[in-house]
Amino acid sequence: MSDHKLTKKDILRTALRHYLGVTTFNYDTGIAPTIVWELFPALRKIYANDDDLVLSLDNHFRYYNCNPWLSPLITGATLAMEEKDGVKSIEAVQNLKTGLMGPLSGIGDTIIWVMMPTIFGAIAGSMGKKGNPLGMWLFLAVFLICFFLRPYLYFVGYQTGTNLIAKLGQKLDAFTDAVSVLGIMVIGSIVSSTVNVQTGWAFQTGGVKITLQSILDQICPSLLPAILVAVLYYMLKKKVKMATLILAVIVIAMLGAAIGLFKA
Amino acid sequence: MGLTIKEVILISLLAYVYSLDRHSTQIAGKITILYGALAGLILGDFKQGLEIGATLQLMSLGVANLGGASMPDYPTAAIISATIAITSGKGMAAGMAIGLPVGMLGMNFDVLIKLINSAIAKRAQNFAHKKQFGKMTRTIPLATIIYPLESTIPVFIAIVFGKSVVQAILNFMPQWFTVGLNVAGGMLPAVGFAMLLVYMPLKKYGYWLIVGFVATAYLKMPVLGVALLGAAAAIHLYLSLSSKNKVMANTSNNVGNLSEEDMEDE
Repeated sequence: MSDHKLTKKDILRTALRHYLGVTTFNYDTGIAPTIVWELFPALRKIYANDDDLVLSLDNHFRYYNCNPWLSPLITGATLAMEEKDGVKSIEAVQNLKTGLMGPLSGIGDTIIWVMMPTIFGAIAGSMGKKGNPLGMWLFLAVFLICFFLRPYLYFVGYQTGTNLIAKLGQKLDAFTDAVSVLGIMVIGSIVSSTVNVQTGWAFQTGGVKITLQSILDQICPSLLPAILVAVLYYMLKKKVKMATLILAVIVIAMLGAAIGLFKA
Repeated sequence: MGLTIKEVILISLLAYVYSLDRHSTQIAGKITILYGALAGLILGDFKQGLEIGATLQLMSLGVANLGGASMPDYPTAAIISATIAITSGKGMAAGMAIGLPVGMLGMNFDVLIKLINSAIAKRAQNFAHKKQFGKMTRTIPLATIIYPLESTIPVFIAIVFGKSVVQAILNFMPQWFTVGLNVAGGMLPAVGFAMLLVYMPLKKYGYWLIVGFVATAYLKMPVLGVALLGAAAAIHLYLSLSSKNKVMANTSNNVGNLSEEDMEDE
């Protein structure tokens, strides 16, 4: 086919150039400079005419911000469109980019920046506190494997082209739901293992010393951590700012420590 | 015990590599514990670095910077905390007393860098308009080189001047303040978890919280075990959801076929 100007090597090169990542992030155009930089060699091959090339580059210099792990799905697809239709595709390219960057960021940020670090961070952190680095190496290994697999998404995007949305749709929903269940279960676990609230007060009844903590533990182990998380959750739902809550927790901890209610 | 020039250079370099990777290749940007451990390794106390990194890793759980928003820089805090704790010999609390505030200050640097990036992007686009494509492709990676300074500069300043500041603070810190700091350290992960839960579909799947909580609070199961149980639940859900989708797709196809045939019959 004569309209295939790009080889596999070109796609791989573009995918690797994408590792410029979010270092170019700015408030005006997001990570658009990264996209321009990664696409440039491929676009140069597609557009023999300098004026057409400038048109295409100018389009890619417009605001674009997407989770960098999943962005290759989009720009892989738009690359296929530009290869096929040239400057005529520019409007469609822009529409696909702005249309998909939101949803893909939503899914990608939740899974990659929230779930994975929470699950592996909880494992690495709780092992590391006891001086065991195994969890840390596991965390690193998972992200390293992802690092080697990520360029593959450029090929997926390039080959599916404009059919991308239809192909991804339902599978991604099921996947996100499934990962959510895993995440929620791990949060339930680490509320107990990681949040630490110990009371220091004790009472004397008939010569027997009873600590407040032992009473609480009999009601339910990790009762105070669970209550703390629940209260903070409802505060956040009521749109209280995170910084306010962090400050409030620190003040309560200090006051509690000063009157002996809490101990380290 | 102070830092040698070689150690200062190595620790600053570690901060540079960390920030470069975090914003470009994104391999270890979230692995706070690794940077505590590596700083420890450079200074000859891997174990203490690991433990400080682990504590900060747990604090950072659930705190994410999404869509280019700024947040406290925990790995930077881990590098500084481990360095101060090991070189001053005063332990984790002393290290974190410097590391965390500097990690928070890093947010302001972040804003500054993103403004510099705007100027770089504009310059690159001007080169494109002038058809000087070589200059354009050489201009854009400047951002990549400059960005990691947002972590390197605070780390350098903190480890060079940090020790004397820590001494001054420790000399005047009352007892309840140090205890309170430790208590706060135990409570603060709760904020991150609460934030995480806000993002999660709790209405649909909230009951799994109970399973995870009971497994660890009552049965003392380690997190890795709960994660494996969770993986089983996730696989089950994924399979049942995707087969449901298929069934729905098939039935709607059948309905479509039937109505077409009906039309032909009529």
